[in-house]
Amino acid sequence: MTSSSGALLREPSFRINKYRRFCMVLTIVLLILSVLGLLLSWLSPIHAPLKPGLDFTGGTAIQVERICSPSCKSFSMEELRKTLPANAVVQTLDAGKAISVRTVALSPAKSGEVVESLDRVLGPIQASDTQINTIGPLLGSQLLRSSLLALIVSFAGIAIYISLRYARLYAAMALMCLIHDVILTSGIFAWLGLLAGVEVDSLFVVALLTIAGYSVNDTVVIFDRIREQQQVLPDLTVEDQVDRAVAGTLKRSFYTITSTILPIIALIFFGGESLYWFAVALLVGVLIGGWSSIGLIPPLLPLLGGKLPSKSSTNNPELAA
Amino acid sequence: MTKSQGWLALILALAIGSVLVLRSLPLSLGLDLRGGSQLTLLIKPAGAIKKIEPNKLEAVKDVLERRVNGLGVSEATVTSSGDDKIIVQLPGVQDPRKAAEVLGTTAMLEFRAQKPDTEQEMTGLMRLKRLLVAKLDQLVGRDKKGPDVDKSLNELLKSLDLNSPEGASEQQQLEAILADTNRRIVSLFEAPAFTGTHLIDAGRQQQPNSQAWEVTLRFDRIGGDEFAALTKSIAGTNRLLGIMLDGNSISEASVGPQFATAGITGGSASITGQFTAEQARNLEVQLRGGALPLPVEIIENRSVGPTLGAENVRNSLVAAVLGIALVGVFMIVIYRVPGFVAVLALCLYALFNLAIYALIPVTLTLPGIAGFILSVGMAVDANILIFERTKEELQDGNSLFRSVEAGFSRAFSSIFDGHLTTLISCAALGWLGTGLVRGFAITLAVGVLLSLFTALTCSRTLLRLVLSYPALRKPEFFLGSPSHP
Repeated sequence: MTSSSGALLREPSFRINKYRRFCMVLTIVLLILSVLGLLLSWLSPIHAPLKPGLDFTGGTAIQVERICSPSCKSFSMEELRKTLPANAVVQTLDAGKAISVRTVALSPAKSGEVVESLDRVLGPIQASDTQINTIGPLLGSQLLRSSLLALIVSFAGIAIYISLRYARLYAAMALMCLIHDVILTSGIFAWLGLLAGVEVDSLFVVALLTIAGYSVNDTVVIFDRIREQQQVLPDLTVEDQVDRAVAGTLKRSFYTITSTILPIIALIFFGGESLYWFAVALLVGVLIGGWSSIGLIPPLLPLLGGKLPSKSSTNNPELAA
Repeated sequence: MTKSQGWLALILALAIGSVLVLRSLPLSLGLDLRGGSQLTLLIKPAGAIKKIEPNKLEAVKDVLERRVNGLGVSEATVTSSGDDKIIVQLPGVQDPRKAAEVLGTTAMLEFRAQKPDTEQEMTGLMRLKRLLVAKLDQLVGRDKKGPDVDKSLNELLKSLDLNSPEGASEQQQLEAILADTNRRIVSLFEAPAFTGTHLIDAGRQQQPNSQAWEVTLRFDRIGGDEFAALTKSIAGTNRLLGIMLDGNSISEASVGPQFATAGITGGSASITGQFTAEQARNLEVQLRGGALPLPVEIIENRSVGPTLGAENVRNSLVAAVLGIALVGVFMIVIYRVPGFVAVLALCLYALFNLAIYALIPVTLTLPGIAGFILSVGMAVDANILIFERTKEELQDGNSLFRSVEAGFSRAFSSIFDGHLTTLISCAALGWLGTGLVRGFAITLAVGVLLSLFTALTCSRTLLRLVLSYPALRKPEFFLGSPSHP
């Protein structure tokens, strides 16, 4: 080891395990709230733990922008509905300047007809701003299956890596942490779906996967520090070692979370409509991931053992640097 | 310091190279950013084929490629996805209706002779069809002042026992009857004598003295012989030659008695249905491209108007620049001189990243850009780990130079583990995910690999360079925040 390890020897300024009870109660309350949201969403007319968007249900979504100069032409919703396929859901956005229509999956020919009839009834519309999305119902379930599989495989890969680099307990903790993050983020979106009608699409899946990767990154930094503590001060209790590791990386965790959140905030405010909920999911997930690597694992680890096998540091890649 | 200078030279060379790459190779933008239509076609098993083999997938892709080329959309791409899907991207196409029509049909051309002794029934059905088409044209307003066909149509409908669905509009009823009529017409023909596989070329031309177009066909030798034999067998009778496309009769013609000895020879024919210019062109494109070996269904259609795409580019660009700027300010406030070095490394990171996107090439989509913006945040994390370690070393009273070196070497194992676990997720996503998910995984993986290089090599080299200026070699420039014990 390199000579100086003063920071590792210093008395920690903050001991996470003093707040063990608070952390655990908070975690349990948050988990219960999330599962409650997912369950309520299942029992509500949504009939799914999260409100599935077009990507999963299949269907056609058409959005057109109206040319409103000097002012938007008024139109009757009645007349509009008559021209649209049965069961179409019409929504006005942006103070009536944009109209979105949601129907069952339509062929491109039928979608084109809908755009034409929209143009007739409430036009003129800005043709270059038109957006058509059609997803066949088959594709949605395939997407869900492949995403879930990707999630499980990446979790398994991460767990194997951590159990090789650290210990099996650490891998189990990291997995628990991942599942916790996914449940909490999903729970928040279940509530958003129930209360504000927010839907999840394939970007939400991408967000969950990113959050998982990010959260593991955070967790591994603390694991690495715990190992270092155990090498420098092997005689301390695990609790003490964990406290020191958390205190030693606290500032780094805070800075890292801030530096990750800043671009996400830019995305929320300036990324435009199509990335808005994606960015919100990332924001929520990064905060939860940051919390779980400090407030979930460290208080639990000493209770379950947490001593790493004392290895010589020869198989540490740090020597390569 | 020579080793360090070598790294500096390498970094400079890479930076110049990246700028040159970006100047000569444009970044390829996804359709959500440039506007256009993306159609996903699912190949459906048919007949004896239960599973789509790779060679069938290729065959379908080839046909679709030829048809897309026939459409004349510049930079259109056809790619296979998974075992049974083909993705067609049509940049700049706002209304994919025509493309969908041309791509989505099988275009199986069949030549059939009419069954003997069905002439009378055929005449009735052909008349009914003509009247139905005329009536429908009047109903939808395509033909404003056609002759009044109601009377004769109603008579015919009564004489033929055709039932139409209850409770539908007049137009829907007539359409149903027309479809039924077409089915009956088809049933009056024999099994196909030969199919469009013997076609070597197709063209179109306007019929003389008419608005209508016809599609011309040229057969190979076998096709020519078959066509001659088929026409010979019905020449001079009242039996018709039917040309069927995907099981629908598109043209019925009688063959004059002058062909009774040899049939129509010369290996060419024309289909004189009442085609509009566009219909004739679509059919020509389909026939030239050949029939699809298996039927396809359009299961996904994403169309984005060009203005909307431009808006997406603008939004994500603003978010990216602002995101990087915010992170930059944050780093400089917290870490002072090293923070500034980190910002430089970050700019290099962004530059290298874009150059790699142009080189691979990675098609940038909205989620891809989101992945990039996010990877900026994660790239900074490596610097934060290093600088926090450097601070600890400084607080222990080590020399500045030594602290910086120790910061890099001691942060390495956390950085390595963190990046590797993210790469494991990327691998899983890229391998198992599709479409959006894969695009995101690729940009994130590129970002993670690059950030290992920029955080460890670029920051380190630049920081050493900074340390070579005595004016900057003050610990307070490196501690920055009020964490001094």
